[in-house]
Parts: sequence; C-alpha cells; structure tokens
Amino acid sequence: MRGWDEGEEDRKESLKRLLEALSQSRSDISRSWRIYRRSLLAVVGLLLVMSVVTISILASRIAVEHPYRNLQDTEDLWSIDYEPRRAHPFSEECDWHEQSISLTQQRRNEMVTVVAESDDKVGDDNRYYRDTLSVIELVHLEDNLGYDLDASLISIDPNNSSILVLSPELYDNMSLTTIWLTYEFDNDAMHVWWMPDGYERCIFGTNDQGQDMFSKVLYGSRVSLKIGITVAMLTVTIGTIVGSVSGYFGGRVDEVIMRICDVFFAIPGLILAMAFVTAMSAMTSLTMPIWLGVLIPMLFLFVTFRSYLNSTIAGDQLSDQVMGSLMRNRNLFLGLFVFFFFVSLWPDLFGTSDSRSWRIAAAMGVILLLGVITLADKRFIEKTSFDGVGERVSKSLDWTNPWRYLTLRTVAVFVAIVVLYRFSGSTGGEIVVIKDFDRLWQIQAALIFTGWPGYARLIRGQVLYVKEMTFVEAARSVGAPSGRIMFRHILPNAWAPLLVAFTLDIGGTILSASGLSFIGLGAAPGTAEWGLLVSESRRYFVNDPHLMLYPGLAIAVTTLGFNLLGDGIRDVVDPKNRR
Amino acid sequence: MKLHEFVVRRLLLLIPVLVGVTVLTFTISHLIPADAAAAQCGDKCGIVTGYTEDGDPISAYEANRERMGMNEPLTTQFRLYVTHLLHGDWGESSTYHRPVADVVKDAAPITLEMSFFALLIAYPLGITLGIISAVRQDRMFDHISRFFAIAFVSLPIFWFAMVLQLLFATQAPESGVGGICDPLFGTNGGCFPIYGRHDPSLTYPEDGFAFLYPAGGTGFHLIDSWFVTDGKLATLPAEFGSNWLLFKDTLLHLALPCACLGIASSGSLLRYMRASLLEVLHEDYVRTARAKGLSEFRVVIVHACRNALVPIVTILGFSIGGAIGGAVLTETIFAFNGMGRVAVKSIQYLDFPVIMGVTLITAAIFLLSNLVVDILYAIIDPRVRLE
Repeated sequence: MRGWDEGEEDRKESLKRLLEALSQSRSDISRSWRIYRRSLLAVVGLLLVMSVVTISILASRIAVEHPYRNLQDTEDLWSIDYEPRRAHPFSEECDWHEQSISLTQQRRNEMVTVVAESDDKVGDDNRYYRDTLSVIELVHLEDNLGYDLDASLISIDPNNSSILVLSPELYDNMSLTTIWLTYEFDNDAMHVWWMPDGYERCIFGTNDQGQDMFSKVLYGSRVSLKIGITVAMLTVTIGTIVGSVSGYFGGRVDEVIMRICDVFFAIPGLILAMAFVTAMSAMTSLTMPIWLGVLIPMLFLFVTFRSYLNSTIAGDQLSDQVMGSLMRNRNLFLGLFVFFFFVSLWPDLFGTSDSRSWRIAAAMGVILLLGVITLADKRFIEKTSFDGVGERVSKSLDWTNPWRYLTLRTVAVFVAIVVLYRFSGSTGGEIVVIKDFDRLWQIQAALIFTGWPGYARLIRGQVLYVKEMTFVEAARSVGAPSGRIMFRHILPNAWAPLLVAFTLDIGGTILSASGLSFIGLGAAPGTAEWGLLVSESRRYFVNDPHLMLYPGLAIAVTTLGFNLLGDGIRDVVDPKNRR
Repeated sequence: MKLHEFVVRRLLLLIPVLVGVTVLTFTISHLIPADAAAAQCGDKCGIVTGYTEDGDPISAYEANRERMGMNEPLTTQFRLYVTHLLHGDWGESSTYHRPVADVVKDAAPITLEMSFFALLIAYPLGITLGIISAVRQDRMFDHISRFFAIAFVSLPIFWFAMVLQLLFATQAPESGVGGICDPLFGTNGGCFPIYGRHDPSLTYPEDGFAFLYPAGGTGFHLIDSWFVTDGKLATLPAEFGSNWLLFKDTLLHLALPCACLGIASSGSLLRYMRASLLEVLHEDYVRTARAKGLSEFRVVIVHACRNALVPIVTILGFSIGGAIGGAVLTETIFAFNGMGRVAVKSIQYLDFPVIMGVTLITAAIFLLSNLVVDILYAIIDPRVRLE
C-alpha cells in the first residue's frame, strides 16, 4: 500500500489535467456564447426559459395561495342558486370573500359573533389552516336559497374588524338556517409582497371554485418543467443507446430496430400515448422485481468486464477444451448460483428487508463478488499467476490520488446511485422505483414510451455518418471494444444535433403532456396543470376567457422559450458558424 | 433499381410495419387492467342472462366475457383477431354498438377532409412565407416570419382552437351583416360556426325537416352535398341555392378547424422551405441564371424554387401523419366525429376493437401516404432509387 506522500506527483499531474480541461471548456463556452448572442431571438428564448425556471422555483413565494386548496367546503349542496364565483382579472371582487354562517350552529353555541375567516387553505406542510380576515365592508347577504337579505343585519365589531356581530332579528329568525355573507376584506396575511393594493387574490382572476388562477398558473410551471425535462432526458438516453447500437452494428440489428421505429412512427403519438396512459391507469407504484434490479447492473458489469478482459488478456486458447463451452460459461453459472443464493436468502440474511440501504449495499456486494469471480475465473482457466491482478486492482483503486475519480463516468455513477436511492422505496420482495406512481408519472412514462424512436433514428443517422471517419477506423485497429468505440469515439462527435433535439423536445413534451391533460387522460383533476386548467375552462370560456387565456399563454411562452433556445443552440453547434 | 422494383420493395416493407402496429396495439390494449366486460355492463353485471347446460346461472358479466373472447389465452385472442381481420371482420364496438369497420368508415372521411384542407392552408402559406423569408434573409421580414414560425410550432393546438373560437365565433346578432355561417335564415347571427360538421338548424322552411346527406355517400360532405337529390330541395327559395347551400355550410364548418390545424403546421413548413431555398440560392446554376440577366423574380421562382421544393415533398407524408395526430385535439374541440374523437372516446370507454381498428387505419393511411410521397420523390429525383 502506497502512502499519501508517494502519490504527490500523480496528484499534481491529475490536477493539472483537470484544470486544463476546465479552462478548455471555459473557452469553449465563451466562444459558444459569442455565437449564441448574435441572434436576438435566441437570447429572448434563453431569457424566457430562465424566467420560467425561476418562477417555478420561487412559485411558493410568489403565489397567493396553495393551488391544491380543497374547496368542497364552500359549496353548499343545498343551495340551489349557488352561483360559482368566476372573478375576472382585476375586478373589484378580487378581495371579496364569501363565507357561510350556520345560524343553527350559532344558536346551539349561543354565540352572537362570528369570526371572519378565509376558506380552508393547504399549507406547504399539507396541513389545513384558515386565515383570519379583517373586514372593511359588508357587500352582500343572502340566505341558503339565494334570496337577498339586508346586509345591515350583520355589523362589524367596532373594536375588532375581524368579528362580525349578528343582529337579534337574524339570530331569532328561526326560519333561517344558513346564510351567505360576502364582504370586502383587507389583510396583511393575505397580502403578498408584490401585489397591488386591492387585488390580493386575482390578478389573473379566479376559477369557478373561487381558486386563484395566478397561483395555479405559477405552480403549473413546476409540473410542466418536471415533465418536460425528465421525459426529454430519458428519451434522449434510451434513443441514444438504441440508435447507436442500430447504427454501429448495422445489418439485421439495424433492420429490426428501424422497423420497430417505423411502427411507432406510423401511429399518431398522441393516440399511442393515450392508450398507454390508460394501460397504466391501475398502477399505483412502479416496482421492479429484485432479480431485475440486480440483473441490470450485473449484466452491465459482465459485459464491460468481458470486453475489458478480452482486450487485455488473450482469451482464445480456451476453445479447444472438451468442456470448452461449459468452462467458458462457468462464470455465468457461478454468477447465477451466487445470485439465486443471495436472493433466496435475502430477508433471512439481512433481516432488515425493509431497509433500502441494506438492499443497495447487498446488491453492491453481489456485484463486487461477481466481478472478483469473473476476474479470477480467467486466471484459473488459463493457469496464469495472479500477480498482475492485485497490482491492477490496487492501481485502479488509487486512494492517494482523489483527482483521478473526478471524471464524468464516476460522477455519473454516483449521481445514478443517489437518484436510485432517492426514488426507491421497498415493499415485499420488490424494489420500488417510483413510490407514488400517479397520473403525472404515467404521462411521463407514456411520453417516454412514444418518444424514443425519434431520437434513435436521429442518432443512427449521425452514427452512420461518423462511423466512416478515419479515427473510428484507427480505434478499431488498435483493438478497442465496440462499446468503447460507440460511446467514447463516435458519440462525442455526434452529440450536436442531439443537444438541439433535446432542447426542442422539452418544448414538444410540454405541449404533448398538456394535450393529454386537456383530453382528460393526463393530470388528475384538481392538479395545477396548464393543459388541465384550459380543459376545465371549456364550459365557461366564452364568457370568462381569462380562465383559458393565461394557462394557454403559459404553455405557449414556455414552449416558445425552449424552441428559441434550441434554435440558438443549433446555430452554435452548426459547423458553419465555428470560427 | 427500376421504378417498379422500388415500388414493390417499398410495398413489401409495409407488411412488417403493419404487423408490428397490430401487435403493438393489441398488446397495449390488452395490458389495460380495467375490465372491458365489466365496463360494458356497468351496474347490471350481476343480472342473470341465461343458464348453462348444467343449470348454473350466467351473469351478464360472464356472458360479456364469453362473447368478447376474454376467457381465451392472449395468443389465441390475437390469432382470432388477426384471422377475423383478414376476413374483413374488425369486431364489434361496445360503445357504438356497431361493427368497427362501419365506425371507421364513417369517421375516416371526416378526418381526411379536415386534414386535406388543413394542408391546403398550410402548404401555400408556409411555402410563400418561406420563399419571402429566404429572399429577404436577415431583414426585418425574415426575423418576424421566423419568430412567428417558431411561435406557431409552440402553440398548444387546443388552446389555439379555443382562441379562434373566441375570436371568430362570437355571436353578433346586432351587426346586421347577417353572418356568413348562417346562410339559410340568418337568425343565428355570428360568423363562423363553433362546432359540428353542419348546421343542425339547416331545415326546410315548410316542415322543419333537416337536410340529409346521402347515407351511402362518400362520407366527404363537401362531395356529398352535390349529390343530395331530395325532391324537396327544389322547393327552396331560389336565393338559397340548394346544393350550394349545403356545400357552403360544410365549408364554413370546416373553416375554423382547418385554419387552426393549417396555421399550426405552417410554421415548420416555413422553416423547411426557408432553409432549403437558402441552400439552393448559393448554387452555381442560380448564379448562372443571375449572370444571364434574368429578373430576380424569375431566378427565385423558376430556377431556385423548383429545386428547393424537392425536399419539401418528402415532408408531405409526415405532415399528413401530423395532421391526423393533431386532429385528435382539434376534433375534440370542434366536435367533429372523426377518427381522433373516436379514438379518444374508445380509449375512455375501453372499447378495444375500436382502439385497434382506428390505430390500424391511421397507421395504414400514414404509411400509404408516405409510400406515395416516396414514389413521387423517386420520380422527381431518380438518385433516390439507387440507394
């Protein structure tokens, strides 16, 4: 084992390389920015995207109320003439509040006073609370059948403007059970810092349930951005892998993959996504059987180790053995054995089968063990000594030089682990990938399902083009494995259109997701989702266009921002613009 | 490769894709956990509808399951479905209570009619603006038209449709203009009709019966309107113009949906046309044409555009597919009972045969139109055939 001081030179070397790469990328970025800012539209797009992102982050600070406020309580089932309030933007009803007063309850408690309170609100901690309002003026009073009463039957307590006093006529009139009082209020607690006086709630108006549209539109940005970015990222990943395999290997693989893509292209994406959402409608959580969860990293490691070993150690002397095939597959058999051993004993071994950290630790253990077996296996078969192995392992696990691990791959692995840990829970014998697989997740899954073929085709074209270049041939001639050529040599030279497509696709995904919600197959009713807001406004939009105008504008502006951004990036990565 | 070889090859390639579409839709629609048999009988599932040979009661639910073949294994169901499909039997819709083939036959012309007119708006608009934009590269007009091109691509089509409804369909009875959408009696006022395919109030003045489009007609109302040979049409006052009235009515009902779809898809066309023309304008033969002293108009329109239009042809196939996809939302808003709306309804009511029928037919339309476009392309540009 080397000491810390002995790694001094390596450390310096790695740090120097890192800094070089950093300054290189910094100059790349500044050059790209110089090309980017030439186009006014692109800059506008960047500003739009940045402001939407900022709004989505600050939504809870800017919004007037939580958008998921449950308003069932304001709706009196017995009131026949109950007219839902759809306040127009900047109307004088903005700081009116309608409160129901149950006279029966008052008489039972022998109370003549009522506290002016807001409707139930949901705080960020998901608990209900009510604000106490200070009343300025009583506007309107009606009974539960919708007949007008004289508003002077109720008066405001001169000492405390939050307390309403019922007059004796009202209190003693036994024919009245519930009354509806509308009053104008002014409250510091309801007043958001940036809002003009008197428009506490509705600069975008309120919907038919009296909910503030502005808050809904603000919170909607979170939903849309989340869907857009997740879906675009995952479709890009899947499409890239499939497309580069298809383009690189060509032949029959390519033919099959391209025909599958044709199938997806032939069906209109929206119809396919709709069907897929319906197919998933009964899923409440996305679970993965343990064997799959362990098998995926195992296969990945197996493949990489195999190609690594094949390229470093000559492995052709095995085939003349009688038990050649058995011997060649021995590590697979051994792996399967160990795997089933672990899986069958899983709960007994660890006892803490509900703890996901244990699970992940155990999975890591299995993978490590398998790696060691794979590594050792070759040595056993070839009867070569183990001398080199220890050195290589200790070299690859060089603890004296932490800079070494600051590569994209290592960082990606750690990010992946954190993401997996963050999103996974566990129930029974399955790994829960997404705990609460609600409608939003279902839309995302559907859009990923329908979206990847486009990327696959795009990347395939790029790979076909780059594949013929000389440096790929050079890499192949020194014996680099296919995986390495694909992902280290070809992809870095084919990512430019991918980046453009990714940016454009965020916009496209936001559009499709809102379209799905509009049809009613997307976000669950009551969610602050822009498409759903437009859809909910359909009954009233002729008289109250503000219900659909602002959410729709929000969709259009966000999509426009991403599209302009994508166009700007296209100019940057266009080889014609490189100087 | 000869042209006919090319066509045959492309036709053969259609087969695996169509098979794939069938498999995919079948798999998805049978992944749906909700019980179609239960959805069909609703709260009457428990009612006894018959008895087995042993005298055991059969509930409506069980009868449904049996009738829909849901007791068979999935592979058998698929085999049966494909066999029936090949015999021309598409199955029976559980929401429309009609054979699926009939449902699709009624719905397809509506969508096709709408898509056709949408493209009829989109193509001239997109190409003209694209040409002007390319000629005035980097001038004000170019910037503005490019901005609008991106803006149109970014518009949520359902919202755009609703805005169009707001703008053009507001009732204005006092305006006295008479309203172009209400050609018969002029009582409704307003401009363009908000929804529906034809005016339900379009009736004979005497007895109030609605004009009927021929039941066995093509389904394209624009064509069918000329074949209404009802004797009573002749009794209408001369200013109504009989068949012309029906035609105008259909056309007006198509106006908003088609404008909506067309404008939304003209954005991408503009961008393609601009890029393609810009490329062509740098070619040598354009310079030659200029050097000959031809007028700039002739250079652009005759020499450059003809070549710039060649790649635009390839997009035609995709834009037909895009228009059918966009029709899902447009039809929902404008209440057209086309394939998009049928698809939405069948998915909401878990009507599997219709889901599969509609998906298959849209896929077939898309593939065929792509095939035609590719053949066209191969005729225009023979280099394609060599690949």
